[in-house]
Amino acid sequence: MVSSALTIQDILPFRANNKKVDMDAFLPFIVLPFLLLIATISRTITIIIMVVIGMGVLYVYTRPRQKNRSPFFFSWTMSSAVTMFLVFEIIILGLLEVTQLENFIFLLLLACTCYFFYKMKAIADFELATGSSKGKEYSPVLTSDSYYCQVCQIEVNERFFHSIWWDCCVLRPNYVYFLAGQICAFATLLFGTNLGLTTVCQPFIFYGLILLPEDCNDAYYEFETPVEKTCERIKRVK
Amino acid sequence: MRCSYRKKIIYGVITILIFIIFSHPGLYGRSSYEFIEKHNILKYLHEEVNVNLTSNAFTNCDYHDIINDETTLSPNLIEGDLVEGHGIRDGGEYIPQDCRPKFSTAIIVPYRDRAEQLRGFLVYMHTFFRRQRIHYRIFIIEQVDSRPFNRAKLLNIGAAAAINAGFPCIVLHDVDLLPLRPSNLYACTKQPRHMSSSINKFRFVLPYLTLFGGVISIRTSQYKMVNGMSNEYFGWGAEDDDLYSRLRACNFKICRFGPEISQYHMFSHKLQRKGKLRSDLLSFARKRMAADGLSSLHYLEVATVLHPLFTHIMVDL
Repeated sequence: MVSSALTIQDILPFRANNKKVDMDAFLPFIVLPFLLLIATISRTITIIIMVVIGMGVLYVYTRPRQKNRSPFFFSWTMSSAVTMFLVFEIIILGLLEVTQLENFIFLLLLACTCYFFYKMKAIADFELATGSSKGKEYSPVLTSDSYYCQVCQIEVNERFFHSIWWDCCVLRPNYVYFLAGQICAFATLLFGTNLGLTTVCQPFIFYGLILLPEDCNDAYYEFETPVEKTCERIKRVK
Repeated sequence: MRCSYRKKIIYGVITILIFIIFSHPGLYGRSSYEFIEKHNILKYLHEEVNVNLTSNAFTNCDYHDIINDETTLSPNLIEGDLVEGHGIRDGGEYIPQDCRPKFSTAIIVPYRDRAEQLRGFLVYMHTFFRRQRIHYRIFIIEQVDSRPFNRAKLLNIGAAAAINAGFPCIVLHDVDLLPLRPSNLYACTKQPRHMSSSINKFRFVLPYLTLFGGVISIRTSQYKMVNGMSNEYFGWGAEDDDLYSRLRACNFKICRFGPEISQYHMFSHKLQRKGKLRSDLLSFARKRMAADGLSSLHYLEVATVLHPLFTHIMVDL
């Protein structure tokens, strides 16, 4: 399916055109942590914020297409990953309830995810740089497996689709890495959220094997910042 | 090409740095720690009963089958009722009738304002102790004033009451913790024992090795030697670490049982206000040991009532 990149201009028609690229790239790093911070106030607000973000994504997909490549969505992906990583490593680990082995497995899965998506982007950029139709808008002869990607403004062979969240085309050469990256990302997210939720909520042992979160009623009672708690615990260890 | 090679090296270095930074041991809880193996438990237990304990039984109680008991109790027992003919005397004291117990334990519970949790705690603990065949008595020390909750001073008051009643072993117990395994014998080991090392709220992981909060068992002689706990900790936090540093100052080591035996269920509750001066108090813990503790216990005893299931001591700190 063709899915083109949108710029912020499409969504907010009254913005100025100056500094378009800079703002698009940095906006998610400000907006996303801010939204998540608001979401910690209470359960109702968490649900509202998640619904708002979901609806925003749907809205993005239904807007009329433009041709320009925007770094906003790739930045959104990156800021999501960085925020989740920092929240996990600083706040969840700060509660001293995750073992070293569990964190090592998490970091390993995360490293695999990053590696696969990095390879996918590297191959896509390589194809763009060395493609036979670089710089031309149309090829005089269209074969059955050559497509014109409106977003990259280039013709690529064997294109499956263009992913706005990774800001690159997914082609036959890098499709394996795309799939592997998705599977690793799913595993990382599953494992990371299991560790996080069993830390914050009351867990129970499911059939004597794995911990699952059970009762999250007191997840919103925390007043003290986790950084303060971490410092205190490290002092106690000494 | 050189550019991408440099980028790869940078990414590789960042990845390795992240792995190194987040491998610091101080950042993790411990799922395994040094503990007394199951077959050694009976050797490490300290057998002593109250001096004035009288028992009409002919044989001593045998604890081998209790230690090797693999069952887990469900926290849903708190909603049930005690069995008929439970034989618990006024004041919450119980002596097993079918054999002579080898252990006498006073369970001391600091308490304020959690009546529903207390009811469930008492029903659960009396059901739990029936399987252990020990002589025990439950003391509930309630703080009736409105100052911040001073857990350590309440424990000191309870310990003083237990010493007066002649108990050689005390268990300092939080009201929101329930032991899940009957093999977790509520008796004293030769060294002070940290009993609650595997709590469900902490993912059954021990947050740090020197943790000494929740449920601990200590012989009354050892408790008197360290002059009990400090009376200065008003509000949540650090009074258990203070007790740990007192024990270390007197060269006591703490011990634990294995993670499967030491499983506890913690009830969720609203977070208490943190005590303001706790880090300052903790840094001078050893210096205050002699002057601050059991020897300097000043409080107003409002009432002592022998309820059917517990001894209720109400104090104004």
